[in-house]
Amino acid sequence: MTKRFGIRNLALILPALLIGLTLLLDIFVIETIVEPLVYLYIALGGIFIIYVISPLYASRRLVNYYWQRVKRNRLAVAGLGFILFLILLAIIGPFLTADPTAVSFEEKNIPPVGFTLKESIYELETGQFITRTATGDWQHPLGTDNKGRDLLAMIISGAGVSLQVGLLATGIALALGTLIGVISAYFGGKTDNILMRFTDIMMTFPFFLLLVLIVFIFGANLAIIVLVIGLTGWTGTARLIRSETLSLRTREFIMAAKALGASDGRVVLTHLVPNVISLIIVIATLSIPGVIVAEAALSFIGLGDPAVTSWGMVLRAGQQTLDTAWWVAVAPGVMLFLTVLAFNFVGDGLRDAFDPRSSL
Amino acid sequence: MKETILSVRNLKTYFFTRRGTVRAVDDVDFELKKGECLCLVGESGCGKTVTALSILGLVDRPPGRIVGGEINYDGINLVSCLPARMRQIRGREIAMIFQDAQSALNPVFTIGDQIVEQIKLHSEKSHRQAREMAIDLLKEVGIPSPDEAASYYPHQLSGGMRQRAMIAMSLSCDPRILIADEPTTAVDVTIKAQILDIFQRLKESRQISLLFITHEMGLVSEIGDRVAVMYAGKIVEIASVTELLTNPIFQHPYTSSLIKCLPGITQERERLESIPGTVPSLIDPPSGCLFHPRCAKAMAICREKEPPPVNVTKGHTVFCHLYSAQGMKK
Repeated sequence: MTKRFGIRNLALILPALLIGLTLLLDIFVIETIVEPLVYLYIALGGIFIIYVISPLYASRRLVNYYWQRVKRNRLAVAGLGFILFLILLAIIGPFLTADPTAVSFEEKNIPPVGFTLKESIYELETGQFITRTATGDWQHPLGTDNKGRDLLAMIISGAGVSLQVGLLATGIALALGTLIGVISAYFGGKTDNILMRFTDIMMTFPFFLLLVLIVFIFGANLAIIVLVIGLTGWTGTARLIRSETLSLRTREFIMAAKALGASDGRVVLTHLVPNVISLIIVIATLSIPGVIVAEAALSFIGLGDPAVTSWGMVLRAGQQTLDTAWWVAVAPGVMLFLTVLAFNFVGDGLRDAFDPRSSL
Repeated sequence: MKETILSVRNLKTYFFTRRGTVRAVDDVDFELKKGECLCLVGESGCGKTVTALSILGLVDRPPGRIVGGEINYDGINLVSCLPARMRQIRGREIAMIFQDAQSALNPVFTIGDQIVEQIKLHSEKSHRQAREMAIDLLKEVGIPSPDEAASYYPHQLSGGMRQRAMIAMSLSCDPRILIADEPTTAVDVTIKAQILDIFQRLKESRQISLLFITHEMGLVSEIGDRVAVMYAGKIVEIASVTELLTNPIFQHPYTSSLIKCLPGITQERERLESIPGTVPSLIDPPSGCLFHPRCAKAMAICREKEPPPVNVTKGHTVFCHLYSAQGMKK
């Protein structure tokens, strides 16, 4: 098996090896804390390299062409800029800011820079109401919440959580949805019927109930939340991909591939999937914000991972002190709003760029 | 006599549709010899393409199914062959060229990559070797600056170039049989001549056996060694090209009318001849000879009995009562 050892094989073997290694480490070396998310990162990274990085690298000219088209959409470029900024923030930020979970009651409810808060508080020792004045300073640029936690640190930590959940869950959902959609359309008949009825059942299944149940059984853990969102969120993708593939599979090049000796698996993976990649990219960018909001909603109602600080959790803390420390709720709200908007702009921009009929 | 490389015996490919059984290929019988070009001629919908797809085992099932007959290649019956073995035969031993190269090439890969993929699928070559081979193939089919052309996507090529790329791809594993399904229909006349040249050269340089499917009698005289004329899922006449075109005494009436339909340079400007009527329904075919409703020379017996094969001269078989013993008697 020394023949063709290209980037594709490497991208297949390397993640498999890494997963095996991590698994061994996890089982035999006690005391190591291998987060379950690591497995997902490795597996999805492999798929990402095979189907996104390597074809993009192989056709730089085409990438350049599409980039020229996307570039004409200012909002999409701004959105892309914001997403990149967010990714950088999530990676570098935690090293620069304080611990987002550090509680300090002396520093509670400090407003952001440039704001002053006057609140009357009841002092236990004297039994009197005194007026406390707090002014924002650069030590806590975005202020603190009612437990004195630094808001900036919490926002940065939340950015990481949101991006992780958004990318990983969408990655799982897309991989599953694409595979099921393509297989369903390509084989047709009974296979199609079974897979699509299964999709229908999954669609009607109350995903929130499932999540509450699973969180109750296994405890709230980011990896479990990602898995549940990913494993239930593929249905729409599967339908879209199926309908796209239905028109592709009657094209003559599929017959030609078979006439020249390609197997079914080969036809599916190297001829059908690459032809729906542009659709997948658009679905991805448009479904990431949905996932991010879903995670925020879960954290908001208290079903999120308590070990990590996410935007939904901050939002929940801020909601209780909305009358005094309004900034605590505003900050994660604005971030959620901007993130969702940015992904939507990018998705729209990509869709227009990939649409051959649009005269951009 | 050259040796036979592919023999199709009593092939029956039916399509089972809601409206009834379509006998797309019904009792077809022919042989392809080594290094020869056999032309399969007939109107649209007479079963030429289905015959080709049956050979490669690519008839969509359901609704289609090969219900009878044998296709013998290299001692194997392709009808009952295992799918895995069939996949090895496709492309490596028997390759096919499609009518419309535009839709037969994958739009998201460069033609170089597609040929390389094809080579690597069937051989143990390294990527670099395969790439070099792909460029050589592109050169062989007459693509100018093949180095550069290999990095083009199908939509960047002209129709003729695409068709050549398709031919290069099907040649990549040096198949022994090449099935060409109307390879010149989608290109213009000058390109058509060039593509025919390529086939002519391939036949000589590679000793490839060609099964050339077309509806143009003009092409047949250009490239064919032997002709099989198909009508409504059946072969009505098989003969060598020279015999068929120069010996009109024993022609099948359908073949004569096909030839009459050709516009000639020497002819005065007249209305083009056409064959009256249309191809009969293959769900509910007429009794007796399938051609009798449209045949100018139809007799009473044609309505009742299917014509048997008649060997009129050596290597020339006609399925027509005009030459059969029963028909002669009446």
